Amino acid sequence: MFKKELKSNLKSFILWTIVLVAVYLLVYLMYPSIIKSGNIQQIDEMMKLFPDEILKAFNMDISSLDSAYGWLKSEGFIFILLITGCYASIMGSNILLKEENDKTIEYISMLPISRTKILNSKVLASLFYIIGMIFFITIFNLVSLKISGPLDVKEFLLISITPLFSSIVFFFMSLFVSNFTHKSKKMLGFSIGIVFLSYIFNTLTALDKSVEFLKYVSVFTLSDLRNVILNNKLDFSLILISFIICIILYILSLIKYNKKEMI
Amino acid sequence: MKKIVEIKNLSKNYGKIKAVKKLSLDLYEGEIFGFIGPNGAGKSSTIRCIMNLLNKTEGKVLIEGKEFQKNDIEIQKNIGYLPSEVNLYEEYTVGEMLNFHESFYENVHENRKKLVKKLNLDESKKIEDLSFGNLKKLGIILALMHEPKILILDEATSGLDPIMQNVFFELLKEEKEKGTTIFYSTHILSEVSKICDRVGIIKEGKLIKIEDVKEIKNKNLTNITIESKDALKIKEELNLDCEIIDNKIIFKNEDSFNNLLKKLIKYDIKKILIEEPTLEDIFYHYYK
Repeated sequence: MFKKELKSNLKSFILWTIVLVAVYLLVYLMYPSIIKSGNIQQIDEMMKLFPDEILKAFNMDISSLDSAYGWLKSEGFIFILLITGCYASIMGSNILLKEENDKTIEYISMLPISRTKILNSKVLASLFYIIGMIFFITIFNLVSLKISGPLDVKEFLLISITPLFSSIVFFFMSLFVSNFTHKSKKMLGFSIGIVFLSYIFNTLTALDKSVEFLKYVSVFTLSDLRNVILNNKLDFSLILISFIICIILYILSLIKYNKKEMI
Repeated sequence: MKKIVEIKNLSKNYGKIKAVKKLSLDLYEGEIFGFIGPNGAGKSSTIRCIMNLLNKTEGKVLIEGKEFQKNDIEIQKNIGYLPSEVNLYEEYTVGEMLNFHESFYENVHENRKKLVKKLNLDESKKIEDLSFGNLKKLGIILALMHEPKILILDEATSGLDPIMQNVFFELLKEEKEKGTTIFYSTHILSEVSKICDRVGIIKEGKLIKIEDVKEIKNKNLTNITIESKDALKIKEELNLDCEIIDNKIIFKNEDSFNNLLKKLIKYDIKKILIEEPTLEDIFYHYYK
């Protein structure tokens, strides 16, 4: 069952990974010419004219755009957060519903396999691909940055792991909610919506202290890049919170999926 | 005879709509039970409740005396299910699909080879490229491959050509001889009379009648259409309850053909058409 899930989701994994790698490839191809043009210092100076809140929102107060790695730390990782978040969220919303929409659920229901085992195989395959995507983009960025110059590998690897926490939480959130509907189409808006809403909330909290409470409802709070850049370590309390949220959502999904009618 | 399946007071509501109403039914070892009814009568809802795809509003299904609930692997091992529309993993080839299916059971490879040969299916073809008929054949193999004790078949012959239909009926007869209990849902009456031992008729969610197929055959109901200039005479003398349109009379006959033909021989008949009754004919003739 696990192997079947890997095979069924391989194409979309390759496609999403190619998109993610292509975004970074484009930047890495462009960056040398931007640096050589001599305008990078002017851009950096210009950036300093922005209010502190904006610089903080994009981590530009603690990194510089004068290198590809600097760009990655300020803006670049946002793409990884958003793309892996969307991928995980869409995967979570589709992985169970696909069987209902393709009507293969009738076939599965005949097999001597429990719904718990079906769910577990799907969850494991999804986690495999979410981790796989982060692994591939990390390797790609690592190789590209190593070629372009010196790099703090430990800091880079710690930063690269952080999108995993928000992505997995997005996955389990969508997985749980998908148990309340029968159509994948209905879930698409939700799965992409929660990612972007979380991002907006996260950015707003950096811009305006009066809405700081929003960080408690933003999943991206769990992927705290800023903390990793400043302290060169992961915040284990956030990892623990991510883990607890995932376990709770997994158990709730399991209960709901075992009761669900397959229409 | 040993009871294999007991459906007790099964009801299924979709909100206020009652799709299945207190349906009770016993299936015995080695019998083929025909389950007939028009679209929307509740056939599929009944099957989907049996298969635990839908939650029952009321009632239960017992398999060999044990309640069949979701996640009961031991019971699921003994059930083969063929849905009316066969939907499988399109990224697989036929061979890969069969391998996947085989991985859930023990010692089924020989039976797989036998069925693939009998139904003449190409294992190298991709599922997305299969015709409706070939997809149905694959569905039949998947339902039969593990030699289940109970077979649940929903509109099993749709998409099969007449030759394959006969191969399929032969397979069902073999299964029956082995002692397999077969629940055969269809709206094609000729199939029921060909292979079923008993038949249950479902109408608006209610099981309105269970009969032996032999008894139905003995009732000898046929639809007769006669075109004759003596149409009025035939109607009056044979005391038929029908209308005459353009010298044509259409009526339902319960008499034997011999008797009917003896009675008709004295009239000037241009055309005579003898047809098997449709499902609706059975409904309205016997159960209105």
